[in-house]
Amino acid sequence: MLRGLAGEAKAHGEMLTAMSRYLRGYFGKRLGPGAADLEDLVQDTLLAIHLKRETYDTAQPFTPWAYMLARYKLLDHFRRTGAHRAVPLEDAGELLASDNPEEGAVRRDLNRLLSALPPRQSQLMQDVKITGLSMEEAAAKSGMSVSAVKVSVHRGLKTLAKRVRDEDR
Amino acid sequence: MKTDELIAVLSAGAAPVAPGVVRRRLLLACLIGGLGAAALVFGLLPYRDLITAAATWSFWMKVGYGALLGVGGFLLADRAARPGAPLGAAPYIAAAPVALIVAMAVYDLVKLPVSAWHGAWMGQSAGFCPIAVLVTAVPVFIAVAVAMRRLAPTRLRFAGAAAGLLAGGVGAAVYALWCREPSAMFVASWYTLGIAACAGIGALLGPRVLRW
Repeated sequence: MLRGLAGEAKAHGEMLTAMSRYLRGYFGKRLGPGAADLEDLVQDTLLAIHLKRETYDTAQPFTPWAYMLARYKLLDHFRRTGAHRAVPLEDAGELLASDNPEEGAVRRDLNRLLSALPPRQSQLMQDVKITGLSMEEAAAKSGMSVSAVKVSVHRGLKTLAKRVRDEDR
Repeated sequence: MKTDELIAVLSAGAAPVAPGVVRRRLLLACLIGGLGAAALVFGLLPYRDLITAAATWSFWMKVGYGALLGVGGFLLADRAARPGAPLGAAPYIAAAPVALIVAMAVYDLVKLPVSAWHGAWMGQSAGFCPIAVLVTAVPVFIAVAVAMRRLAPTRLRFAGAAAGLLAGGVGAAVYALWCREPSAMFVASWYTLGIAACAGIGALLGPRVLRW
């Protein structure tokens, strides 16, 4: 997104392609299977991400921005089709729920969060929660005992959860 | 059109985006709206000598109160125009001028004898003032709403209230150029009422006029 804002067409296109996958998953779940207007809604939202990209505050995480745009488009769609459906305000992570968090769009947000932790703990969180190593594997990799890894990861999760809550306020 | 084609078209048109474009557009809207408000005040109301007025403390108190609330509204509008942006300090900055003027009004209450309270509170134009603030806010609200629709407000009621507060603040600051009331009690009551009405009407209009 950042490089797209700087005018790099290729990076911008890659971001949109990645987003189109997330959006298809997000809308697909909410419109029900085989909805005819799914692709229209995806395109509409991509267009909004493109046209409204100047409203993204580069000091803020990207995911909540994209999520609120997608939710707005979904609400707008329901309003226009006359379907009276409530769209609960979920966690912005919902947008990415159908995909792998290794992908680029969230990478920056994740890194920013993880950078708040001490480096060793941050590495453990990466290994266990993102790469998906077992506690034993992570312990062997870091040279710590299994119980120390468990404690560290647990505390790290608590710290991150608190930080996310603070940021949302 | 296929989604892939759309992406290709869009990324081909990916011109660089200058940082700060949101605030620049909102600021431009305030300037245009403020000029409209000034045209209303000086076009419709009788002549007033600004130079002698500007020598009084109360002149700057009133203009400053409107302007500071406008700044708070501006920051809130900037947040509201960006999807998912946290509010940060903006609500506190918007509330600070109200706390300040109330403190000044309380100081007046303490200083003045009780018999003078009513006169200072109602002034000469208590009924006119909130309506004048509402009317001067109209051109500002229109300009800000046009700017906001080109941005991306996703919570329309909140965005409308922020635009209303911004418009009310700017409108009040412009009307204050003409207003003759000297007391902080007057400003704390009637200016605040007028500006709050702008924010309230903005919240009502938001879902209709800010949809994009």
